[in-house]
Amino acid sequence: MSDAPVISAHNVWKLFGTDPEGYLAKMPQGRSYSDIQADGYIAGVKDVSVEVAKGEMLVIMGLSGSGKSTLVRCFSRLHEITGGTIEVDGQDIMALNEKQLIEMRRSKMGMVFQSFGLLPHRTVLENIAFPLEMRGQDKHDRRERALEVIKLVGLDGREDYFPRELSGGQQQRVGIARSLAIEPDIWFLDEPFSALDPLIRREMQDEFLRLQAMLNKTIVFITHDFDEALRLADRIAIMKDGAVEQCDTPDKIVLNPATPYVAKFTEEIDKARVVHAGTLARPDLAANGDPIPAGTTIHELARQLVDDDREALPVVSKDGVIIGGLDRRQALDILLGAA
Amino acid sequence: MNFVKSLAVGALALAPVSAFAAAHNSSDPIVIPIHNWSSQIVMSNVVGQMYETMGLNVEFVTTDSQAVYESIRLGDVTLELEVWEGAFGASYRAALAKGGMVDAGAHNAVTREDWWYPSWTADACPGLPSWEALNECADLFKTAETGDKGRYLDGPVDWLKHGKERVDALGMNFTVINAGSAAALWAEIAAAEKDKKPVVVFNWTPNFAEAVWPGAFVEFPEWEDGCDKDPSKGPNPDALYDCGNPADGYLRKVAHKDMTSKWPSAYCVLSNISFNNAQIAEMARLVDVDELEAEDAASEWLGANGSVVQPWIDACA
Amino acid sequence: MALADQDQSTPVGPAGLSGSRVVQALLVAAIILTVLRPWLPDGLVRAPEWMLLPWRDWIDTVFQYVTFDLGFINVTRFLSGGLEFVLDAVANILYGRARWPRFEAVPWTVVASIAAVLGYALGGWRLALLTGATFVWAAVVGQWKWTMETLSVVFVAAPLGFLLGGLIGIWCWKSKRVEETVKPLLLVMQVLPFFSYLLPAVIFFKVGPTAATVATMAYSLPPMILMTTIGLKKVSPEVVEAGKMSGCTRWQMLRHVYIPSARSEILVGLNQVIMLCLAMVVLTAAIGMPGLGAKLLEAMGSFKLGRAFEIGVTIVLLAVVLDRLSKAWVVNLPEHFERGTPWWRRNIYLVIGVTLFIVFIGLSLMVSGMKPQPIEDAGFGNWFVGILDEVHRKEAMSQGKVYDRAIKDFLSLDAVTSVTGAIRYFVNVYILIPTERALLFVPTLAVIFAVTALAYRLGGKGPAILGFVFFCIVAQFGYWDRAMLTLHSVFMAVLLAVVLGAPLAIFASRSEKRAKRTILLCDTFQTFPSYVYLLPAIMLFGISPVTVILSILIYTMVPIVRYTLEGLRGVPPELTEAADMSGATRWQKLTQVQFPLAMPTIAVGVNQALVFAFFMVIIAEFIGTRDIGQEMRRTMAGTELGWNFVLGFSVVFMALTFDIAINAWAEKRRKLLGLA
Repeated sequence: MSDAPVISAHNVWKLFGTDPEGYLAKMPQGRSYSDIQADGYIAGVKDVSVEVAKGEMLVIMGLSGSGKSTLVRCFSRLHEITGGTIEVDGQDIMALNEKQLIEMRRSKMGMVFQSFGLLPHRTVLENIAFPLEMRGQDKHDRRERALEVIKLVGLDGREDYFPRELSGGQQQRVGIARSLAIEPDIWFLDEPFSALDPLIRREMQDEFLRLQAMLNKTIVFITHDFDEALRLADRIAIMKDGAVEQCDTPDKIVLNPATPYVAKFTEEIDKARVVHAGTLARPDLAANGDPIPAGTTIHELARQLVDDDREALPVVSKDGVIIGGLDRRQALDILLGAA
Repeated sequence: MNFVKSLAVGALALAPVSAFAAAHNSSDPIVIPIHNWSSQIVMSNVVGQMYETMGLNVEFVTTDSQAVYESIRLGDVTLELEVWEGAFGASYRAALAKGGMVDAGAHNAVTREDWWYPSWTADACPGLPSWEALNECADLFKTAETGDKGRYLDGPVDWLKHGKERVDALGMNFTVINAGSAAALWAEIAAAEKDKKPVVVFNWTPNFAEAVWPGAFVEFPEWEDGCDKDPSKGPNPDALYDCGNPADGYLRKVAHKDMTSKWPSAYCVLSNISFNNAQIAEMARLVDVDELEAEDAASEWLGANGSVVQPWIDACA
Repeated sequence: MALADQDQSTPVGPAGLSGSRVVQALLVAAIILTVLRPWLPDGLVRAPEWMLLPWRDWIDTVFQYVTFDLGFINVTRFLSGGLEFVLDAVANILYGRARWPRFEAVPWTVVASIAAVLGYALGGWRLALLTGATFVWAAVVGQWKWTMETLSVVFVAAPLGFLLGGLIGIWCWKSKRVEETVKPLLLVMQVLPFFSYLLPAVIFFKVGPTAATVATMAYSLPPMILMTTIGLKKVSPEVVEAGKMSGCTRWQMLRHVYIPSARSEILVGLNQVIMLCLAMVVLTAAIGMPGLGAKLLEAMGSFKLGRAFEIGVTIVLLAVVLDRLSKAWVVNLPEHFERGTPWWRRNIYLVIGVTLFIVFIGLSLMVSGMKPQPIEDAGFGNWFVGILDEVHRKEAMSQGKVYDRAIKDFLSLDAVTSVTGAIRYFVNVYILIPTERALLFVPTLAVIFAVTALAYRLGGKGPAILGFVFFCIVAQFGYWDRAMLTLHSVFMAVLLAVVLGAPLAIFASRSEKRAKRTILLCDTFQTFPSYVYLLPAIMLFGISPVTVILSILIYTMVPIVRYTLEGLRGVPPELTEAADMSGATRWQKLTQVQFPLAMPTIAVGVNQALVFAFFMVIIAEFIGTRDIGQEMRRTMAGTELGWNFVLGFSVVFMALTFDIAINAWAEKRRKLLGLA
């Protein structure tokens, strides 16, 4: 996670209107979303800077119209940005010509869509093999690889079905399989589970985590569901009116919401289920006795926290190093919902 | 097609085909236009079958009977067998003037196109066929739409019949309504037949209607040359069109200018062809009354009239 | 209605006048002019002589120059040469026309059975039955060759129209500029009277199947172009993005993503192409369309109503069959087979088709060279095989004479004639003739003001200015009275269509079954050659304005019913349910909820009706009119091309005015209701 970021965006702007470039060039500092709107432009993405590290899963969370989908489309240059820079693997994607752009998408990127975006006239197999076909792979290879991914997403035996013959969950599996067919490094998922029933959604999230554990891609995941974001994310970027309100790990967002807007989301959350011992561990706090693993949530530690009588508990990281002490009182406050 | 051809061949007991093949006739098809009235269709088929017996290729094309002259000029259509003086005179003259078309002579037929009434009308207006008597009976021909004037149903305007001018010139108590097509005329006559409602409509001869609805032409002041150009002609000294139409209009044949060189034998036969009223009426009758298809009607007619057409062909051998 | 009032106050007229003020001012001016008419100088009543420009001569000169001096005719003749080759080849395959590739005529049983197999493959045994029965009917009543002649052109014109329309549609979708140029052109093509196509078609494309194909395409292209553009615009953005993220190049996007996804709309376009091709079968007979249309006109010319009816039935059957086949193709997405299905099983229809082809060809070879013989002489076996090869004229079971008698008897029933006689008297004397006279009485300028006001009320400033200019042009073309008579027939027919069609559509919208039947009825009326019912109409109503209006009415009713139905059924069910729960009566629901929401769609229907009416009013000249159609007929004698076009464009400009205004209104309305 420490290498150069895979995606790095700096001061990215995406304005919609008659002459966005001209407007942005002349726009004074500090115009708010509504000021811009009053000038006849919509700020889809407003001065966003964010980086995604290799193997990291960044979840972009926001309500509809917050600009999250626009932002992810800027990363893959489905949208041309109005200002700022976006680099993918150190390459400024705005500098690519059409051929290079296509090449980048063919080799590096996969994307999953909210309403699946499947081609209705193609079978499951043909849909999944579509990106391979587009880059000119021969039929035999295509089929082999597609069957591989079909197995991966658990659709074996449905190769010859048409999308309309599948349930929503199955269709999204096809969408996922298609996006994985070319073995992309970067995986964009635009609200992939929003169109599904709650039960299926849960199942798909588990499935997704299983896949990610296996594949370890660099992921940008979009959702409007804060719970989903907490469940999946390494880091969450919360967006409102085109701008990022806060970008941090779930624990930190829950503990320290940066703005009242973010706080509104965290209020209802059972923090004990989100916050990990590692986050609360303070190096300056000395503690003795049996350590607790950094990756457990406070909720998971509930019984111990109540029963233990130590002031502070040592926290140990995955590789067995003590990283600090956990203030039991503080943890209990979180558990009881007082914090 | 073989069936038809063999019949025609048998009937004509032909002169050797090779005589025509040797005359350097093109093997391109001769294109004969077909319009939407029976005598023309049968006559075109008769001539087509005559050409086929001569070893020439023939094709038919259905066309509008006015626009066809432009096609003849351009050579898309090779000939036209029925140029009625009244109805198509204008298009014929315009095309001749522009060039590209040649006159191939007239049939031995007289055409008459004028005001006409079915026989039951005469019962109601005994003075007929005189036009003055008709005018006296104008009341009989009133309809809701024409108010207190009689109604005369003229032919389609592109036949250039000048019914309205005549009504004005002769001071007749009639309103002229134009039918849009021959079919519309027949529909009106048929509708009147049931109650023997008196009607006076435009009609012409030779034509199938004579066989279905007996009737007669109204006698107007006789046609004088120049009646359409010189007001002094005819009874009204100040008006044009104060005469009946010519009772002996021509029925001509025309051809594209290159027909003479491309199919010399066919052109020669075309210029010899001359059907008379009775023959034309018979051709129409086979289709209109006997309900034969035009092709079969043509073979049948040829079968019965081989001796009429054979000399025209022989003369060109 | 409150909505309408609001949007009327928004446009601001010249000199800061509000829109409704401008409308009022124009109407007042129109009324004053009309009242003062008896005292007005002639020059204010109709465009004075000196204002009329010699358009006729100019057009003739330009036409002559472009066609012959510049040699434009060589270009079109070159194109029609290629077209002719294709047409000839198809004609050879279908009915053995003596052209390349010089096959013998295919036995009718081959065509009929293959058509039935195709019907089965696409739509099951019902469609197979319908398809097969249609072709058997055509053969048995003795119309086989004519049917094949007709189809030989349709089979070229329809695919060409489909391809060309699709390509132009794609181009329009790619470029806004192209779309904006093409749209008005298409409209002009659609409303330009058919009589204006006759001469150019035969001059440029050679009388015969070629000219007929071109003229047919001119009418069938517009819906194809429109539907293609609509379909491509509607492709879900996610599918597009999925395509892009899959690394499609532009061509791959079009080929693999856009076109397959727009399949439904594109095929609806194809369906329209087919319907229009068959609707044009009779009209194009005047420029060389062979087959059924020409035979129908021939039958009418010698007053064989039964025969004409029989041919009309064949044309409708063909239209219904081709329509059903193409629709079935739309619905029929490919099926998947379990792995390991043998080849013949996967291609079972192909196998059956080829088998039948071989069987019937074999049978027909047995009788080749044999003369048709009566059953007594030939023996049943030979006779039967002979029939399978070709139904000869004498063997055909045409019932033309029987129908003829039946139709003519029906038309002379006292009960029928007394009713129609009364209608004829009442409608002509009390409605049509007075309104006609009134319209002719109104001074030209007053009509122009009124039309401008109407266009303003409907579409705002732009359409109003265009309407004003267009009607001024019509006025100075110099055929004002005839133009007004044309307009009168069009308006009356559309008005009547609304009065009769709207209740019918409301009735039909109440249940799925009724709606389906109504749509089938619409399709049938649209393709049944109007000529067939023109003659009975004349027998019943005489050559009079009421007959003309009735003949147009059939065509104006169809779009009104169709679009009203679609509009009503398109109202979201939540809204009608909400109205029900608010305690609305049926009538309240209809007037307060359904109609306001359906209005933009209905407006499109009214507009379609107007376009059809402008087209048909000219065709109605077949009955006998005194409007522009009649004058156009006059231009046919002596092939007066310039004159013809002046008249044709009088119609075009009038039609354009209404089309633009109504479309602008529907568009505005749709935006207002958030439907756009």
